[in-house]
Amino acid sequence: MTSDSSVFREMTDGGLLQAAAARDAAAFAEIVSRYYQPVYRLAWRMTAGGSDCEDIAQEAFVKLWQNPAQLREAGALKGWLMRVASNAAIDRGRKPKHRDIDTAPEISDPEASPAAPLDRAQAARLIDRRISKLPERQRLALSLVYFEGLSNIDAAEVMGTSVEAVESLLARARGSLKDSLSGEWRALLAGVTETGR
Amino acid sequence: MENSMDKRLSQLLESYGADRGRWPEADRKLFLESGSATAAEARALDWLLAMASAPAVPNGALARLMDRLGDEPGARIIPFRPATRRPAGYFRYAAALPLAASLALGIYLGAQGSLDFILPAPLTEGVAAIDDAPDDLGGVGEADAYAAESLT
Repeated sequence: MTSDSSVFREMTDGGLLQAAAARDAAAFAEIVSRYYQPVYRLAWRMTAGGSDCEDIAQEAFVKLWQNPAQLREAGALKGWLMRVASNAAIDRGRKPKHRDIDTAPEISDPEASPAAPLDRAQAARLIDRRISKLPERQRLALSLVYFEGLSNIDAAEVMGTSVEAVESLLARARGSLKDSLSGEWRALLAGVTETGR
Repeated sequence: MENSMDKRLSQLLESYGADRGRWPEADRKLFLESGSATAAEARALDWLLAMASAPAVPNGALARLMDRLGDEPGARIIPFRPATRRPAGYFRYAAALPLAASLALGIYLGAQGSLDFILPAPLTEGVAAIDDAPDDLGGVGEADAYAAESLT
């Protein structure tokens, strides 16, 4: 565990992994700073904002630190971290529940005044909640492609499935969201147009 | 052709939404701007998805992770080295040679009969000598004697 962190900023993932394999914590810190945010966001989305999303993100990096050599291709680093984090989140999701979006304060009842526009925070909470209700594979596909900007090929790689399967999961996720938001559709869109989107 | 194009367009809109930036590159080139109702609906869902929360990493999360890594013992990985194959030498069949030689010698000596004296005399030789007389191979004489014994 040695070295100056600034040296690693310009290094490729491959170089960082090699240095990390030699137990260089500064090199590993650079990997963490590059990829912690997307891994954390994915864990957050997969646990529906659960309190253990930080643990899940940590778990992915700890696994990498324990054996950086297990990654055969440095180019797959982000995808590998995403896969470990999503698997950990899915495993934990099958255990008893934690604090999550479900326990967050409910938005004002849009059914009472369906056309009343929702403010940005209300709309975000409502959409988060609906996303959290999607089956885990659909939520994962949506998170990877839509929120993390992975290509369909990379998402398929992370999920260990085919591109066609990812497309099908995305279509079902979007279809389910459209259905589940149909009641609040007008209020949400009114909010969108008011906020200038 | 048009039907399959429509089907693909509808698949793209359902899977990726109306934002062409998210479409696979080949499809982006294939389809120009579409103003259909499906596209408008997909665009509306894109807007809504864009409003979902973007969670921020909690303060100190990276430092907490690095602290945890400091406590983690680095896994000691022993690199796996596949066993190297030794080239086959002249001694590869050395073990088979004495076996083959002893087999050949056994066959030779057996054929010559030069070691017959060490073989045991067959047990059947003595038994055969005591048993049936050569003139009563069918055992008829014995049958008579047996019948006489039974009658007395």
